[in-house]
Amino acid sequence: MLPQFSYLAARSTQEALSSLASLTGAALLAGGTDLLMRMRKGETHRYVIDLGGVAELAGVTEEGGTLRLGGGTTHGRIASDPIVRRTCGSLASACSLVGSPQIRNMGTLGGNLVNASPAADSIAPLLVHNAVVTLESMDGERVEQLERFIAGPYRTTIGSREILTSVKVEALGGYHEGYRRIARRAGWAISRLSVAWALAAGEGIFTDVRIAVGSCTPVPFRPRSAEAFLEGKGRERPVVEEAVRMVLDEIRRISGMRPSFAYKLPVVRDLLLSVLGGDACS
Amino acid sequence: MFIGKDLDRVDALAKVLGTAGFAHDLRMEGMLFAAVVRSTKPHALLAGIDVSGAYAVPGVLRVVSYRDIPGENTYGAMRKDQPFLASKRVRHVGEPILIVIGENEAAARKGAARVRIDYGEIDAVLDPAAPGKGQTLIGNILACKKLRKGDVEKGFAESDVVVAHTYRTTWIDHAFLETEAGIGYADEDGRIVIRSSTQNIHYKRAEISRLLAMPEERIRVIQATTGGGFGGKLDVTVEGFLALAVYLLKRPVFMRYTREESFLSNTKRHPLSIEYKTGARADGVLTAVKVNITGDTGPYASYGDAVCLRAAVHATGPYDVANVWADSTLFTTNGPVSGAMRGFGVPQLAFAHESQLDEVAALLGIDPLDIRIKNGLRRGSITATGQVLSASAGFVETLKRVEPYWRARKKQKKGSGFGLGCMYYGIGNTGMANPAHALVELGEGGRVILHTGACEIGQGSDTVLLQILLETLGMARSDVLLDRGDTDTSKDAGSSSASRQTYVSGKAVQEAALGLRALLDKAGYYKGRTLGDIYCAMKDGGRLLFDGFFDPPAPGLDEATGQGVPYATYAFATHMTEVEVEESTGACRVKHVYAAHDVGKGINPKGIKGQICGGVAMGIGLALMEEFIPGKTASFDTYYIPTSMDMPRVDVFLVEDEEPTGPFGAKGVGEPALIPQAASVVNAIRDATGVAVYELPCHVERLKGLMEKKRMAR
Amino acid sequence: MKRVGFTLNRKAIACDVEENELLLHTLRERLSVTSVKEGCSIGECGTCTVLIDDEPRYACLTLTAKVEGREVKTVEYLAHGDLLHPLQESFISHGAVQCGFCTPGMLLVAYSLLLKNREPTDEQIREAMSGNLCRCTGYVQVIEAIKDAAPVFVSSGS
Repeated sequence: MLPQFSYLAARSTQEALSSLASLTGAALLAGGTDLLMRMRKGETHRYVIDLGGVAELAGVTEEGGTLRLGGGTTHGRIASDPIVRRTCGSLASACSLVGSPQIRNMGTLGGNLVNASPAADSIAPLLVHNAVVTLESMDGERVEQLERFIAGPYRTTIGSREILTSVKVEALGGYHEGYRRIARRAGWAISRLSVAWALAAGEGIFTDVRIAVGSCTPVPFRPRSAEAFLEGKGRERPVVEEAVRMVLDEIRRISGMRPSFAYKLPVVRDLLLSVLGGDACS
Repeated sequence: MFIGKDLDRVDALAKVLGTAGFAHDLRMEGMLFAAVVRSTKPHALLAGIDVSGAYAVPGVLRVVSYRDIPGENTYGAMRKDQPFLASKRVRHVGEPILIVIGENEAAARKGAARVRIDYGEIDAVLDPAAPGKGQTLIGNILACKKLRKGDVEKGFAESDVVVAHTYRTTWIDHAFLETEAGIGYADEDGRIVIRSSTQNIHYKRAEISRLLAMPEERIRVIQATTGGGFGGKLDVTVEGFLALAVYLLKRPVFMRYTREESFLSNTKRHPLSIEYKTGARADGVLTAVKVNITGDTGPYASYGDAVCLRAAVHATGPYDVANVWADSTLFTTNGPVSGAMRGFGVPQLAFAHESQLDEVAALLGIDPLDIRIKNGLRRGSITATGQVLSASAGFVETLKRVEPYWRARKKQKKGSGFGLGCMYYGIGNTGMANPAHALVELGEGGRVILHTGACEIGQGSDTVLLQILLETLGMARSDVLLDRGDTDTSKDAGSSSASRQTYVSGKAVQEAALGLRALLDKAGYYKGRTLGDIYCAMKDGGRLLFDGFFDPPAPGLDEATGQGVPYATYAFATHMTEVEVEESTGACRVKHVYAAHDVGKGINPKGIKGQICGGVAMGIGLALMEEFIPGKTASFDTYYIPTSMDMPRVDVFLVEDEEPTGPFGAKGVGEPALIPQAASVVNAIRDATGVAVYELPCHVERLKGLMEKKRMAR
Repeated sequence: MKRVGFTLNRKAIACDVEENELLLHTLRERLSVTSVKEGCSIGECGTCTVLIDDEPRYACLTLTAKVEGREVKTVEYLAHGDLLHPLQESFISHGAVQCGFCTPGMLLVAYSLLLKNREPTDEQIREAMSGNLCRCTGYVQVIEAIKDAAPVFVSSGS
């Protein structure tokens, strides 16, 4: 049984923003998989504004080298979208692993980002693609780097009158990219560790390396120093090993030593060695 | 005709239509709802209870405590030690204290949440290895079973290799998809009627009779369509509360547990610590097995005695070992109540004995299949309890069925591994009477009716019993009606547990059917006379009812040595599992399972395959992902059972070494389906990675940790 | 209270519901559609699966208000009177039904899969069914049943 609230179905982004601005104690409902769970556990709101019927909030478009993902787009839609699969493969992969098929039909990208679980699968790939979120309110619009938007576990910079209307990511063509996560069963499981990557390496030289690691640090992060180290270097074992060492060092620098690192760090190490080293099955 | 036929399940139609009446779906006009107030402390005195908050909630009618119980406040499958409602003290988190009855679920649960309880906390015993401090009705040791055969020290002296390790398992939840639920009401005669999700009915009636100090004839228990049991619906769950509520308020009352409540309150698979020492000769013959099993049974007995004994009896696995020494001890604690769960301790022992055997085989340079064939029990073998297997011992045949695949195994890639897991399992209760009655009637219009108390919990007993009936009578499906799960119309068939219904109720059904067959034969049915005619001609002489009865011949075991005959028959099985372990992550994918089972006679092979596949899934869960952590595990978000994506290809092979005392030679498969699976996964992991697993679950992080440790040791 | 209009198994329904009411509750308690089960209430078991515009979703995490104007299907949609849908027949004939509690949800997901994909691979079936827990069958005969029903699949449309 959920606590009582008044339900409003918004028919447009404007309407939703207007309601959000004028009502006190209102929460936004996207897919419902996060909000309703929290309300089951006691979280209360006077109003629930349903964004589910706002068609303009959902969809994937490509413009120039940028992909625009509507905040109301479901994970299932993102996972199967041909443009996403072509230019943002790690994100398609990650979204295909969120929850179960039913959850992927319900939960939205925007909802997931605003919830900002440290284990959210979409974050690492979005970081790899230099994601920028757009937040709209009655006062206008602002954009923010995803890295800044996710401020901490379950914490974002979103204002109480804002809606995350879209995420823009860099479309990458010709990169080798992917997403792996560790979980306790093959599907429908919380990721305990995740790694996203997109690499460009021509003729044995790294030209662009992007890595993001999730669930090792308070928020998923990109090990920039390791990325910078690799750029322009040859794709050889000692180079790769050094870069991986740098990633692990950075994780330890950010998080200190944690009991879970006994298994997490070897996995990060081995996954990255395999991915960066160019093994066939990564 | 019907034996060995893949008859469509008789209960499947309603289930695919969505019309099956599960306990969750029962509704009655004006029904109330009862919610349970449960202890939040592991061990405490109930210093003060304030129910005024509950009564202040609109719609709350009554708060019931132990004082309202007219009869006995304790129940239990084996000892009457578990309170329905706590009186002065609570001994585990989740222990029921009060029930709050409201006009509807919302009111009742709100009322329950508003009850204020003052707990005087007492030191909780949470470590079974620290006995002596806990004080329960039972004392701090629930049970200690011993098994002594031959001279185990002499056996070790004769051995060329000795392997000793300790294996650990943890609490596991049944995780049936339908939580505990039921409805209770008083009928026109004022009798109390309970319909619930249950694995037994006559037992529940007996407990309600004690609770209400009411004769059993004034109580009726009916099994609703039950969404899974696996041992978790053998104990009284909602039935006692419903009966008490109806008794007090004289109105229909409904209950259902939330999933969180089910995880919190239901009995668990016993966590066991198994110290296992195996001795073998260079030629691979096992000379000695010494096992010390200790476990945490929680504060109340439930089925602990049965688990304690089964663990000792099956400790060697399906092997002929001349010298055996086993001690099995369950300690009481203030942890979760552990009780019956599919296999009663044997899945945990199989993990141990199969791991041991593979290690012995490796040390001796003997193939794992060969060492099993060499030592495997067969006709004429003497078991660890000194029982001579005179019939139906098809274990070696199960090994042979898997053999071609075993010999042909090829590691496809790095991280591939193959493992064997074997088991034997005594069908029915251990060394004690566990009879079943079955009534077969020639009823109105010439319809043949099977009245059985054997509860269908998804395992397929309805269909199997009908197949046995139809075969014995030589009739068509349409001639026969099934009346199942009503204490008013059936006699006690015993619980649907211990994989016993096909064997025990099946035999009882056959006996009853033979009685009717003789009558029909004499009346000319097999010469063309119709059932309707025969019924008309005979009905004035009284009900044409035949009572079939069967109690497996199992005299029992000696207290001090565990020697004797604990079971009339055993199931045997071999599982071969192929895994792929990803070195970088520790992720273990189960690719293929070959499962060979000696079932005596496969009454419904398709149904048996279903049970085996379900057992494989549960075994994969036990091996790789399931662990109930008291205080942390809340629901399915924090307790993972396998999904379709965790399942391998499964090939099933049935061996039919007919059991002379069973119906058409049949034994049982419900628990055997699960028992060897986790063991074979663990052995496959060892083959794939060189890593020995001594603790379950071997989840991804644990396996990666073990692999990493091994890597660094090199 | 709020009036919500939607289609349930081909029938137009107008239902007065609480604004915070979950579709699971509306179906089971108001409309007596008890084929939709409540196994966990937090979207972690799949027994409450319904089809909304032919997409599987968890009714325990769906506000009834959200299905305004939508098509909701439960397992009752599949059969036509006495005529079982090929999926239902296949489930029966393959032994894919044991305790039956997960069965309605499984059938609906299978239906929605075959609507979109008439020749699913085993892998695709496994993936589609991975949001429905089963403790009895181990999924093997469920997957076989769906595979075999695919060639004879018909939409339950009219």
